[in-house]
Amino acid sequence: MSRPATRKAAPKGEYIETDSGNKVSRRAAITGTANITLGGRTVISADVHLRGDLHPSRPAPSSSNNGPARDAPPTSISIGRCTVVSAGCVVRPPSRVSRGAVHYYPMKIGDNVFIGPNTTISAISISSHVHIGAGCVIHPFAIIKDNVKILPNTVVPAHMVIPSGSVVAGRPARVVGEVGEGWGVSAGGAGGGALGGAGGQGWVEGGDLRELVRGIR
Amino acid sequence: MAQPFPYTYYSCDCYDSATLAPTSKRASHPARAEEEDERTFDPRNPRSNYSLYPLEHLLYCEDCRQIRCPRCVSEETLNWFCPSCLFEVPSSMIKSEGNRCTRNCYNCPICTSSMTVSSLEPPKVPTADDTGGLAGPFFLSCPYCHWSTLDIGIEFEKHTGITQQLARIRNGGKVVPTPKEREKERDKKRDAEARDESVAKADELSPEDLNPSEPPPQEELFSNLFAFYKSQLSLAAPSNPFSPHHDINFSSPSSFSRIMNLYSSTSSKKQKKDKPAPMREACSITEGLVPYNPSLDAAAVEALKTHGWSHTLSPTQKLHQTSPNTRFINELRPIPTLLRTKRGKRCRTCRHILSKPESKITSTRYKIKLLGLNHIPRLSVRALSSPIPLPTMAASTGSQGFDYARLSPGLPTHFLLTLSNPLFDPIRITLATPSTTAGKVQSRVTIMCPQFEVGANTDVWDDALSSGLTKRGATASTDPGSGTPQVEAGKIWDRGRNWTSVILEVVPGFLKPIPGFDFGLGGELAKKVDDEHELDEDDDVLEIPVFVRIEYESEVAAEDRAAAGAEHGRAGAAGGKEKREEAFWCVLGVGRIVGGP
Ligand SMILES: [Zn+2]
Ligand SMILES: [Zn+2]
Ligand SMILES: [Zn+2]
Ligand SMILES: [Zn+2]
Repeated sequence: MSRPATRKAAPKGEYIETDSGNKVSRRAAITGTANITLGGRTVISADVHLRGDLHPSRPAPSSSNNGPARDAPPTSISIGRCTVVSAGCVVRPPSRVSRGAVHYYPMKIGDNVFIGPNTTISAISISSHVHIGAGCVIHPFAIIKDNVKILPNTVVPAHMVIPSGSVVAGRPARVVGEVGEGWGVSAGGAGGGALGGAGGQGWVEGGDLRELVRGIR
Repeated sequence: MAQPFPYTYYSCDCYDSATLAPTSKRASHPARAEEEDERTFDPRNPRSNYSLYPLEHLLYCEDCRQIRCPRCVSEETLNWFCPSCLFEVPSSMIKSEGNRCTRNCYNCPICTSSMTVSSLEPPKVPTADDTGGLAGPFFLSCPYCHWSTLDIGIEFEKHTGITQQLARIRNGGKVVPTPKEREKERDKKRDAEARDESVAKADELSPEDLNPSEPPPQEELFSNLFAFYKSQLSLAAPSNPFSPHHDINFSSPSSFSRIMNLYSSTSSKKQKKDKPAPMREACSITEGLVPYNPSLDAAAVEALKTHGWSHTLSPTQKLHQTSPNTRFINELRPIPTLLRTKRGKRCRTCRHILSKPESKITSTRYKIKLLGLNHIPRLSVRALSSPIPLPTMAASTGSQGFDYARLSPGLPTHFLLTLSNPLFDPIRITLATPSTTAGKVQSRVTIMCPQFEVGANTDVWDDALSSGLTKRGATASTDPGSGTPQVEAGKIWDRGRNWTSVILEVVPGFLKPIPGFDFGLGGELAKKVDDEHELDEDDDVLEIPVFVRIEYESEVAAEDRAAAGAEHGRAGAAGGKEKREEAFWCVLGVGRIVGGP
C-alpha cells in the first residue's frame, strides 16, 4: 500500500514557472499563446489543451485588460489568479456561426477556480471561487457565477446561467443545492493553519487555492 | 450527498436536545454529557441523515453557544430573483404573478435545461445593414435535448416578451385571448346573464361549451373560479359593515382578516345571527365549472393506442408542468423558470441573526455571518500510508496511492486524524469512539491518543511570520516515508501551530462472515450477523462516529461580565477567565470495504 513519497509522476521540471508565478506544465498543449493571459500563480497541468488560437476575429473591445489601446492581439482565454486547471482538461472558447462565418468569443475565468481532471470547458465566463469536479463538460456560453460547486461528471448545457452559491449536478446540470455559508472559508478563519483544509491539505474547495498551487511542483 | 472519501460530517443535536426534558441548559450540562457517554451516535440510524452536515453548512449562535444546523435556524427571505436572467423580482410581483420568471426564461419540459430563443430563419447572407440575423419567426429550443416549441407547434413573432406571447398561443399554434382579455369577456358574459336572468339555465351551456375539444387551460379555470368565489363572498357578507362588497383583495392582510372575521363570527355568534345562506357552487363554464367530457378520455385512450408508451410523460416531467392534466408529450409547455431567493438565517431559539447576505443580487458578501467552523475544530482524516493526493490528477492514473473505495477487511489500516483549532485559545480535546462500528459490518476502531491539546489559532500576522515553521511541521506529517515517528499508543503523531494529528487504527470488518471465525464478537452476535448477512446498499461504507469534547479557558467577554454572573459567571470566573466546554458527535467516512477477505 505504501509507496515512495514521490508525488510527481513526471520527470523533474514538470512545470515552467513564469515571473508572476504561473506554473505551466511542459506537457500542456497550448495553442495561440499570445491570446492567453494568466493572472499569476495559476497552474496549467499536463495534457491540458488551451485553445488560444480560437480568438475573436474582430479586434477585442478597447475595454479589455490590455491597458493602452495599441494593436494588441485579441484575448481569447483569460484566466485569473490562483486558478488550477487539472490534467487532461480542454479549454476552448465558445463559438457561434453568424453571417456565414464562425466567430469565437473570449472566455474569462476568474480567481481561485479549481477545474478538475478531464473536464471540457467552453463557458463564456466563470467567476471566482468556483470548484468544478472531474469529468465535467461545460458547454458553450454557459455563465458560472461566484461560489459555485459543480459535482463530478456534470454536463452543463449551453447558455446555462448558474447563479452564485449553487451546487450543480446531473446531465443536464440542475441546481441540486446551495453551498453553505462557510463555502471557501478554511478553519481558523483569517489565520487558517497549514492544515486547515478538509483533507488536511491546507486548502478548501472554493477557498484560496494558494496552498494548493504552492504544493504543485 | 455524495462526498468523496474521506469526509467528515458534524452532527447537530438540536432534535435530541429538543426531545430531552427542557431543563435549564447550564445546569443540565454535566448530566447531559454523562447521558451522552452512554448513548452512541449511530450514523446508520435513519434519523442521522437529518442531523449530519458538512462543517461549512453549520452556523454558530454566540448567544446560545451552540452550533446551528439548517434544522435549527429559521430563514427569512430577503428577495426573489430569477436564477437564469438574474433579475430581482419585487415581492409585490411575487404576490400577483407568482414565483416564476415572467421574462424570457424557460426550462425544457423534457430535460429541465434552460431554453434559448432562436430564429427560425437561417442566418442571412451578410449585408451591411443587417442586425445580426434577428428576423423572426422565433422559437424556444433546448440546447441539451433539442426539444423545441416547434414540436408543439408554437412560434413567436418577437424574440422578447415570450411570456406574453406564450400565454396567447395554445399548443398547435391556435391563438387564444390572453387571460386579461378572457377576464373581460367573462365579466361581459356575466353581466349579460345578470341582465336577463329569466333565460333558462340550460341555455348557458351551449353545445360548443359542453363539448370542448380540449379542457380549458388551467389559468383560465383558476381565474374563473377565483372570480366566482370572490363574487359569492361579497354576496354572502353584506351584513359585514367593513366589507366594501366588492373586490376583496385576498393578498392584502386587512381583507384577509376581514374574511377570517367572517368565519369566526359565523361560528361564535351563531345563535345571534341567522345562519349564512350556503354558498352555491359554480354552475356554468364562465364560473369555472368543468363538465365531465367523456370524449376527452376516449381521445386519451386513443392517443395511447396509436402513439404508445413513448408518447406519455415521466412522473418528473409531469410534475414540472404547471397544469396537472398534462399527459402526453404533445401537451407539454415550456416551464417558466422558478425564482430563487436570498435568505437570512436566525437562531430558532433566541432569534438572533446568524447570517445575513447583502440584499443586492450580484453581491456575494454577507453583512453578518457566524460560522460554525470559526468555533468548533475541524476534523480531517486521511490515510497515513500515502501522501496527500494531488487533486489535479485523475483518480484512474493511480497517482492517488491510497484507494479509499477499496479498504481491505481484516487488515489494520492507519488513518491520520487532524484537528485544527479556529479559536484564539488553546483547547483540550477528548475523543471517544465505539470500539466496533454499528451496523452489519463490524469494524474495529481505536484512537491511539484520545486526549491531547491543540494550540491556539494565533492571528494572521503571527501566521505570516511563522509560516516557515508551520510548513516544516506540515511536511513532516505528510512525509511518512522518511524516518517517521512510530505509531504509538498514547502519543500524538504530529502537531503544528493550531493543529494536532493523532492516529486512528481501523480494522475494517468482513462483508461476509467467515465460518468458524467470529471476529472477536460474542458467539450470539456472530450468529446474528450470520443470520442477516444480506447487505443493504452502502452497508460496506465505513463510517466512524467520533465524540469530540473540547475544553478551554477563554477571556470573559466584557459584555458577558457586565451581564452578571447569573448565567456564565458560575463557571469559574477567576481572573477574568472562564472555563468553557463544547461537545458534539461527528462522523468520519473513511472509505468503502471491498468484498471478501
Ligand atoms: Zn440543529
Ligand atoms: Zn428570468
Ligand atoms: Zn431539453
Ligand atoms: Zn441562539
